[in-house]
Amino acid sequence: MDAVKITHVTRTFGNVTAVDDLSLTVPQGSIYGFIGPNGSGKTTTMRMIVNIFYPDRGEIRLFGEGRPETSTDLIGYLPEERGLYQKMTVQALLEFYGELRSGRSVKAEVATWLDRLGLANRASDKVETLSKGMSQKVQFIATVIPEPKLLILDEPFSGLDPVSAEAIRSAILELRRHGVTVILSTHDMHVAESMCDYILMIFRGGKVLDGTLSSIQDQYGEDTIRVTANGGLAAVQHLPGVEQIRDLGQVQELRLTRGADPQEVLRALVAQARVTSFSLMKPSLHDIFMRIAGPAAEEANHAIA
Amino acid sequence: MRLHKVVTIAKRDYITTVRTKAFVFGLVVAPVLFGGGSIAMSFLKGKPDLKDRHVAVIDHTGVVANALVSAVREKNDRELFDKKTHQQIAPRYVFEVVAPAANAEGHRAQLLALSDRVRSKELVAFLEIGKDALRPPKPSDDSDDLDLGTSKKTDPDTGVSYYTNAGGIDEIRIWLNGPIGDGARLARLAQLGIDINHNKGLVSSPRVDGMSLVERDEKTGEVHEAHKRSELEGFFVPFALAMILAMIVMVGSAPMLQSVTQDKSQRIVETLLGAASPFELMTGKVLGSVGVSVTSSVLYVIAGTVAVNALGVAGLLPLTIIPWFYVYLLTDVIMLCAFAAALGACCSTPQDAQNLAIVLLMPCIIPMFTLVTVLRQPNGVLATVMSLIPPFTPILMLLRQAMPNGVPAWQPWVGLFDVLVFAAGTVWAASRIFRVAILMQGKPPRLAEAVRWAMKG
Repeated sequence: MDAVKITHVTRTFGNVTAVDDLSLTVPQGSIYGFIGPNGSGKTTTMRMIVNIFYPDRGEIRLFGEGRPETSTDLIGYLPEERGLYQKMTVQALLEFYGELRSGRSVKAEVATWLDRLGLANRASDKVETLSKGMSQKVQFIATVIPEPKLLILDEPFSGLDPVSAEAIRSAILELRRHGVTVILSTHDMHVAESMCDYILMIFRGGKVLDGTLSSIQDQYGEDTIRVTANGGLAAVQHLPGVEQIRDLGQVQELRLTRGADPQEVLRALVAQARVTSFSLMKPSLHDIFMRIAGPAAEEANHAIA
Repeated sequence: MRLHKVVTIAKRDYITTVRTKAFVFGLVVAPVLFGGGSIAMSFLKGKPDLKDRHVAVIDHTGVVANALVSAVREKNDRELFDKKTHQQIAPRYVFEVVAPAANAEGHRAQLLALSDRVRSKELVAFLEIGKDALRPPKPSDDSDDLDLGTSKKTDPDTGVSYYTNAGGIDEIRIWLNGPIGDGARLARLAQLGIDINHNKGLVSSPRVDGMSLVERDEKTGEVHEAHKRSELEGFFVPFALAMILAMIVMVGSAPMLQSVTQDKSQRIVETLLGAASPFELMTGKVLGSVGVSVTSSVLYVIAGTVAVNALGVAGLLPLTIIPWFYVYLLTDVIMLCAFAAALGACCSTPQDAQNLAIVLLMPCIIPMFTLVTVLRQPNGVLATVMSLIPPFTPILMLLRQAMPNGVPAWQPWVGLFDVLVFAAGTVWAASRIFRVAILMQGKPPRLAEAVRWAMKG
């Protein structure tokens, strides 16, 4: 059964179309990553799934059901703009959110999660005394108590230090192992590549990419070369069949023009510099993102317009 | 609507509010003001200021002052000492007769000198009896209208002017009406050659006592006699009840505006909306405020009961009004809290909320402007119409119901029906505005936009 099925959903705010005729199916037990530039419609889509916004047109079904009011009981939602009652203690706050969602006492779950995320000794402290990272962990716990069937996380790693981010990442993966379906939005392409079973890219309210990472990459083929050569960026200038160079510092990423021969590029490169590594690969998600929404794409869109 | 979500939100808001210092301070201060103030009044009533009170009299008639001095002597003899304990229980009034000045310039200087003596607290007041004060008044001079500070000027020659800088209720001025009237009548009769000094009681005015109506008990047929009605019964109890209601409603609903704005500006609201619908969230918050209001009202009612007992006017409080008090309290708090939630949802910053606070309090403030008119004519057209306009019904209908003559039996029920319909409509419209506005940032919407949200959702 699909956890979420969105069919031709549109949502407008005044004259702005935030989500335009979006259709999407999220399989149960998967991790679905939403990517896209700011203002592209990711948060609006998530808010519609959570029932905070109603679609102007189209339909959203959760676990095969229409949209009964009780559907939000199945969802744990972590909004992008997070806020907690600062004057409450951590324990009281988490019990409040847990009871609000489940209608029962969640003391045991609160204790388990506080222990798991290293906050057990802060249970009786007021939220206002916590660091930003700790507050984010508390907010995450508030989202997953009691364990939801569907977890919707809007930018769950933003502002977290690597240790806290790793703790949250491992918690998300464990929840998925328990059968929880996860939808998360992120601007970190590495997170999307490494964590998500499926990736949706929304751009200007519309779906531009949807599928597994490899299926998305297959659409572009092996048109990327990753090179390390003496001379760095200077060594890869003016190569035949290369339309764009991305300088990563120690490594350079070259995008081939359509139909270009990688062997020709290698020959030209060896002729002008000492090459220590050369690999032909599919484009990274970051590269695909930039091709769709980067400045070059913007210029191209303007030119067409 | 999922009840457990509403109750959880209400419980949190209620506990958070009643634990704040502001709430506890308000709870302590209000009963102290009502109950403690009344007890203090009652205590001070038994310990009056016993210092002599000097009043100067300029008498242009040459005869009224003597009658006044004689009357004040009798008053002192009558009221100065307790008849059983022989202890002084009232201040002594000492009237000093001052000869009128010879000319206009001297008169002005005399008034200024006496005013300076009042300012220096040597005198509590002085009065000037006009030279034609004994002349029988023309019909057009007579007016029993309540003077509310109109600019109508008394003719100094025919009237009596009382000069003082004392504020509030001036007992001596009220008392003076009697002996001055008696003195004037005696003097007029003397001018006609009729001497009744041997029996001054002949000119004294009989006392007019306010009475209730004689009633027949509908069940037993027994006729209940009329009872004497005090001014307090007609004014104090209804006024106090209306003021207490207005205060509890304002204290209960104003924090709602801040609470919603705070939840919104601190980004808490979206997390809550992930677990509860906007309607559940708003209803929970309204219910929490109702709980806060009921808590404070119970304490205010206890303090009020202490106050009326301390003042010895407990019998004046019509007990049948208490259920109405709570019905109006609950409907008014629900109505205003829903309104506050919608306003709070439209605000992005605490500053926006402060600017809109006055709009929220209008249903309590507007009835205050009509209180004097309603108290004077509780069944007049204005009082009736205003008390049937739903936002004003709770305060004004309660005020009218608590007055001795009450209101026609149908009016509270029609008023209540209007209030219930209006409160339901307010909650419905507020929840639609709340849902649309709660996640919006930026400038608060214009009225037309808010109305559109309420209509279309």
